[in-house]
Amino acid sequence: MDLILPLGVSAKSFQQALDAFAGVVGKEWVLSTNEDRDTYLDAFAPGDASSHVASAAVGPQSVEEIQAIVRIANEHKVPLWPISRGKNLGYGGCAPRMSGTVVLDLSRMNRILDVDERFGYCVIEPGVGFFDLYNYLQANKIPLWMSVPANAWGSVAGNALERGYGYTPYGNNTNNICGMEIVLANGELIRTGTGAMANSPCWHLFKYGFGPSWDQVFVQSNYGVVTKMGMWLMPEPEATLGLSMQLPNPDDIGWAIDALRPLRLNGVLTQDPSLGNSIRVVTGQAQRTEFYQGDGAMPDDVLLALLKRYGLGWWGINLRLYGYDEINEVNARLIKEAFAKHTDREFAVSKWHKGEPLDNSGAGVPTVAPLQAVNWRGGRGGHLGFSPVLPSSSEHVLKQFHSTKKRFEEVGLDYFGSFTLSERYVTNVNLMLYDQDDPAMMTKVRALFKVLVEDAQKEGYSEYRTHISYMDEVAHTFNYNNHALLRLNETVKDALDPNGILAPGKQGIWPKALRENRA
Amino acid sequence: MSARFRILAAALFAIAVCAPAVAVAGAAARAGRVADEDASRIEQGKTLFHAKCGYCHLEGGTGTTMLGKRLGKDRALLEDRTDLRADYIKHVVRSGIGSMPRHNRIEVPDSELDLIAAYLTRPASARGAAK
Repeated sequence: MDLILPLGVSAKSFQQALDAFAGVVGKEWVLSTNEDRDTYLDAFAPGDASSHVASAAVGPQSVEEIQAIVRIANEHKVPLWPISRGKNLGYGGCAPRMSGTVVLDLSRMNRILDVDERFGYCVIEPGVGFFDLYNYLQANKIPLWMSVPANAWGSVAGNALERGYGYTPYGNNTNNICGMEIVLANGELIRTGTGAMANSPCWHLFKYGFGPSWDQVFVQSNYGVVTKMGMWLMPEPEATLGLSMQLPNPDDIGWAIDALRPLRLNGVLTQDPSLGNSIRVVTGQAQRTEFYQGDGAMPDDVLLALLKRYGLGWWGINLRLYGYDEINEVNARLIKEAFAKHTDREFAVSKWHKGEPLDNSGAGVPTVAPLQAVNWRGGRGGHLGFSPVLPSSSEHVLKQFHSTKKRFEEVGLDYFGSFTLSERYVTNVNLMLYDQDDPAMMTKVRALFKVLVEDAQKEGYSEYRTHISYMDEVAHTFNYNNHALLRLNETVKDALDPNGILAPGKQGIWPKALRENRA
Repeated sequence: MSARFRILAAALFAIAVCAPAVAVAGAAARAGRVADEDASRIEQGKTLFHAKCGYCHLEGGTGTTMLGKRLGKDRALLEDRTDLRADYIKHVVRSGIGSMPRHNRIEVPDSELDLIAAYLTRPASARGAAK
């Protein structure tokens, strides 16, 4: 891609900024050729990738280098888009919200600074990937388990900062953040929680400190650059017990959620299980043309034949109990009893005990296998997720499921949905799988996304996370008192980052000088 | 012939006779060093390939699956391929292909990409050792 200068920055000033960045990190780590810019495009763009073009990238290796870069960016009014490893696939990848922004690529800051087995936490830099941390724990025989998302190519810290999910009892990754170090937009270095004391032994043990708690203010925001993160890890359990079941009918998702909610609320179930329609399994193994070559969404009879071939139901449920054998057995009985009120089917049971290989243990073992799904429609594949949060009850879940499935079919896409059950809500991830080289399909995908946002807003649901192209639309749905929360977010933005150099537009939060950019 | 001359003549003879052997030994040593350097580069490339490409391009990975569908199972595992060219490997890494994203020069610097390409294009003589 040709150079697009940051808004309001002259070519001369931009070059001066790049030269100054090179003076900090070395020329090798400032990338600004056309080919370099291409490598920071959104690989799974739901449309024109040139809507989000980086002007350059700079790769620091230390906190001091980040501080220097931030100060230079202020001097030249050059905006920065911090990324941890740039694998936020489906949400924009490594591409910035606003074209012309310089990517602050933290991939080289990949040190595991500490792992504390006694207290169950690690301290990591943003470039540490799930595979890095997993390999470290395994190599050093440290009995702590990670929570790993479906696609584990990315950064541990980055995933937590975007509120990513895993599947163990520590699956809500942002909840595991405890104590961070952050470079503010003015270059000042702060530590949150008791890290604000010079000598606290509790920085990564106690989240709150004294006064306002800031960790979550830096999650899904553009107020600072996180340079270190304390993250709680789960002590390896004595045993796990898996319960799997295939549910044959589309509407089975309703009673299943109602049956599981009290078990999740009262702690019988301590992980957030994901109930997905079975096409999710098939997309991980095959391509659509192997079953159907016609236009439009795959017809029900084709889908049913496909599920039969793979031995799948309409929905798949995989539950996992973690802890002591005896307790797992009791909890498994309670779950079986709850399901027996609705179905004659029986759970398939699997067990794991400490010391056995981790395959099928329910531990967070990194893989990128689910990325195979992007090849479903062939060509240059990609995916876009629409993920509203709704109450965990059948009336909400069934209505949302049928409404979304109908919307998918209206534009000829195969419905791909899952409901991840937390204590009081479900996160409904709907994945649009597409061929980026099919312009007609991409037009429909974009239209589908917009109508799903509108449908959800009518029900009072919002996404938990979204693609950079839709951050303004989703932020706009938070409309209580004429968008008072957005005004607060932008008041904070202006106070912390008056020049608007950090991630302008992220989560719909724009600095004062760029607010006319809002979509 | 004086004793001194005899010693000098003997020394010159020894140099004349031994020089080719020394030259051969030097060339062999240089060749050995080059071979060692190549082996080292291939070994480094292997480590980098496993660390940076292995997510998708080892057994069971999505890259291996898709290459199998596109080119056949015998050409699915990049490590086993003998038909890859370094410039093609570098082009694909920087430009992406199909659903494989592009890789930038901070994530995989040119110096590392050279080593990865050296590993994937290693000669047959190095294939037994480094896989």
